[in-house]
Amino acid sequence: MTTAEPVAFGVAADAIAAEIDALGITHVVCVPDTFQRTIIARWEAGTTPRLVKVCTEDEGVGVNAGLYMGGQNPMMCIQNNGIFASINTLKAIALDAKVPTLMMVGHFQRDVTKPIEEQGSRAVRMLEPTLEAWGIPYWRVEGPQDIGAFRAAYERSRADLGPAVIIVGAPTV
Amino acid sequence: MERQEAIDILAEGRGDAISVPTMQSVFPWHEAGQGDVLNVDASQCMGSASTLGLGLALARPDRKVMVLDGDGSLLMQLGSLVSVVESSPPNLYHFVFGNGLNQSTGNQPLPAQGVFDWVALAKAAGYKHAMRIAQAEDLIEQLPAIWALEGPVLIDLEIAREEGPPRWAGVPMAKQVALLKAQLAAS
Repeated sequence: MTTAEPVAFGVAADAIAAEIDALGITHVVCVPDTFQRTIIARWEAGTTPRLVKVCTEDEGVGVNAGLYMGGQNPMMCIQNNGIFASINTLKAIALDAKVPTLMMVGHFQRDVTKPIEEQGSRAVRMLEPTLEAWGIPYWRVEGPQDIGAFRAAYERSRADLGPAVIIVGAPTV
Repeated sequence: MERQEAIDILAEGRGDAISVPTMQSVFPWHEAGQGDVLNVDASQCMGSASTLGLGLALARPDRKVMVLDGDGSLLMQLGSLVSVVESSPPNLYHFVFGNGLNQSTGNQPLPAQGVFDWVALAKAAGYKHAMRIAQAEDLIEQLPAIWALEGPVLIDLEIAREEGPPRWAGVPMAKQVALLKAQLAAS
């Protein structure tokens, strides 16, 4: 009998928090996500960055934009299904209105023993094609070696004045 | 009251508040000279006015933020009432232009029009204050007291049906985002 070995590994919440702190993020606008439970719990327990809880991803895009216009340095934390749910708002605010919108997106239902392309979940398989269809850049975080994706995506969102996605491919630890 | 009456009263009483109009409030708000200073229109994102206002209110607690929402618009992101309460910015004033219609698409009645109640919804969500104002003279009289309330406050304005095609200000939201960000940075 063989045991499937993981191909994606969780990144420590401490490491993610250090990256986010280094970027000077002031607010994390959040709709809960299974894959990011440990980092969400860390932010909820702390005071910086401020965790702003909202009910839907549409709302999150709006709050992120308001914070940005008001001089803050926000980002979002959602799951893959939230991208599908908020396309109209991403179109209008993040893309057309040119609002830097950095999003950590947890890959809910991703099987960590398989590459993305072999996933059974439609939500997992269709996330990257959806982002590509809308011209939204993304970075995969498949393990601790990809920690640099946070800064790369952040810098892209601020340089382009638009959305950039960090796909969190395994549950944070 | 007529929409234009409400717009004129709010423009007169705005002071230095940041404004976030949406849908059929946008054009008259611009016509009233309110579009170029501390303003962003929620354009092409029906339902987002409340959360744009929430983010602005959290970012700039030193300023009042007034959202000029539509009833059809707010129904599209009804959960935002709860998201507002989660953060409860004391400087957020949420005016809902309630005509019971989706005016922009041809004056179709809203679902459950005449049954649901904005004041009850806002209070149940946890807004600090919520009230309904039907007459222009009452809005004139009550507006100074509304500004003195601690937010979030929801004000349900009873707006008369209007006929005719929808009117749009046509100012790109990207231009407004950049301008408002610069104005707030300088203030």
